Amino acid sequence: MTELSTIFNIGLLQNTLRTATPVVLCALGCLMTDHVGMTNIGVEGMMLIGAFSAVMGSWVCSSWWMGLVFAITIGLLLGLFYGVFVIKFKSDEFIIGVALNTFAMGLTTFLLRTLTGQSGTFHAPEGNLSTLPRLSADWLNSIPILGDLLNNNTLLVYVSWILVLVCWLLIYHTPLGFWLRASGEHPQSLRSAGRSPEKMQYLASLICGMLSALAGAHLALGYLSTFSENMSNSRGYIAFACVIFGRANPPKVFLAALLFGFIDALGMRLQSVGISSALTSIFPYIGTVLMMVLVVWRTERRKKKLAQ
Amino acid sequence: MKKIIALILSLVLCLSVMAPALADQPAGPSVAIVVAGTLGDRSFYDSANEGRLKLEADLGLTTTVIECAEDASKFENALVTAAENYDVVVAVGWQFWDALAGNAATPGVPVDFPETKFMFIDNGLDGIGDNLMSVIYAQNQGSYLTGYIAGKMSKTSKIGVVGGQDSDTINDFIAGYEAGAKYANADIAIEKRYTEDFEDPSKGKEAALAMYDAGCDIVFAVAGKTGEGVFEAAAEKNAYAIGVDSDQKYINPDVIICSMVKDVGKSLYNTIANMDENFKGGQIWCADMATGYIGVAYGTEDMPQQVSDELKAEVEVLAQKIVSGEIVVPSTLQ
Repeated sequence: MTELSTIFNIGLLQNTLRTATPVVLCALGCLMTDHVGMTNIGVEGMMLIGAFSAVMGSWVCSSWWMGLVFAITIGLLLGLFYGVFVIKFKSDEFIIGVALNTFAMGLTTFLLRTLTGQSGTFHAPEGNLSTLPRLSADWLNSIPILGDLLNNNTLLVYVSWILVLVCWLLIYHTPLGFWLRASGEHPQSLRSAGRSPEKMQYLASLICGMLSALAGAHLALGYLSTFSENMSNSRGYIAFACVIFGRANPPKVFLAALLFGFIDALGMRLQSVGISSALTSIFPYIGTVLMMVLVVWRTERRKKKLAQ
Repeated sequence: MKKIIALILSLVLCLSVMAPALADQPAGPSVAIVVAGTLGDRSFYDSANEGRLKLEADLGLTTTVIECAEDASKFENALVTAAENYDVVVAVGWQFWDALAGNAATPGVPVDFPETKFMFIDNGLDGIGDNLMSVIYAQNQGSYLTGYIAGKMSKTSKIGVVGGQDSDTINDFIAGYEAGAKYANADIAIEKRYTEDFEDPSKGKEAALAMYDAGCDIVFAVAGKTGEGVFEAAAEKNAYAIGVDSDQKYINPDVIICSMVKDVGKSLYNTIANMDENFKGGQIWCADMATGYIGVAYGTEDMPQQVSDELKAEVEVLAQKIVSGEIVVPSTLQ
């Protein structure tokens, strides 16, 4: 039993939350483009560039909020870049996404080495980097478990929760949300209603760039306090999988990301009962594959029901 | 216009390929080091790179570094590219085993380039040819000392270690660390976690946080760049950590109490600077504690020192005993 308590404890839940947050932010961006009918796998690269710009902003201006401003600005530019290629030039969204990811990897590595003269990991030359503040409320501490879980997280963790709600309201309960979805599902009818589907796609692309960059900012200034080459490490792809699994519905996507975080945290802890690390390190990916199988199975079943 | 640009570009390409051949020949051999990961780990690969820079600065050798970014598909090509253009090729990282050893269908890279001297850092491979020298390090001996320090300094009698991968070389560190800790404190509990990733600090941070939460107060990071996360976790939990390969204390002097040093750069420098004497082709050379390439470092004097002078003296005595063979440290290699 003692072994069980070393695995299933408050640390597991905290770990779940920490691991899930960058994925949640990124997935919220990704689901926006999903609604307007764009398959954006470029979120991985957007996240990495976001992480880099956040660290550079924070370092140059010695303030974390300038880091966020940098990340958001660059994120919007990336969204615009993606949008211009996919919407205006009608390039293949998949190719552009892959190109963006490869480009991001090379660009951040190159810029890190030329701008700071460092490679691998960024180490602020004069002292510490300004990182995101941690928030906590005293009254929460009186509640067991919940207090430990909800308190003392970095700013963007709370922002991500609010954003889940905001995105959900935006997509399903505002006219703008209807137009967004219509531009993906039936652009012609949106056009006949006097709205431009392209504008909606641009909007989604911009939001996606911004949120993915925020995910990166969280990774670099909230989760860790450094930039490290390729630090997004496939989290963008996991976010993409969560969007598919949660059918692009923000609360469901949020749960999917939490599930991923949980699997990851659990996998690491299972090593302490003697399960090989080679096996536990692929748990998140096994989880992703199982999620996908479930999605296919559900859609098939729905189709059958409709046919009857 | 396009044709002209294409012409210029291809000219540039040709020239850059020929450049090493055109340059004036310096006194010593030209050296290429090929690292399996990326520079900037402030640990293993950076140590190798320091050795290279020193060769360039002291002896005026032409050198280069090629990074493979943990991409196994690049290993062989990187070695071949290096061998085509340089006299000495240093493969830094045990991951190069397959590319150097070859298989039934294709011989290893050293066989194809008999004129080029190869050094294989961190793995023992022989029987390929007289132009390949393997250097292995007795990291278990150095880790024994850091394990001893951790064992003596732990207040909770519980310490941890984060390994980058469940592999022989990494486990060699861990075996030494465990033995040293047990020698210091027979009742000590040692937790170990592998991140299966040398390049993701977040994973290192999570692994270390879980151990600190479980009551460990000192964690040894044996995971390259992933180890950066261990130091962050230590800072967050006001606990201690131990660095690896290079003297890493400067990264965070308040939490890193010492580092297990595996001086890849120095061994590389000394071998290449005196090729005729020190290059032992066809052999596996073990850099153990007696060679001075393995040890413990405590940063510089202006940094806060957590390890007491008495403990440092004890460590010195232990090191002597390891050199004299009085203490035999367990190993997972050989």
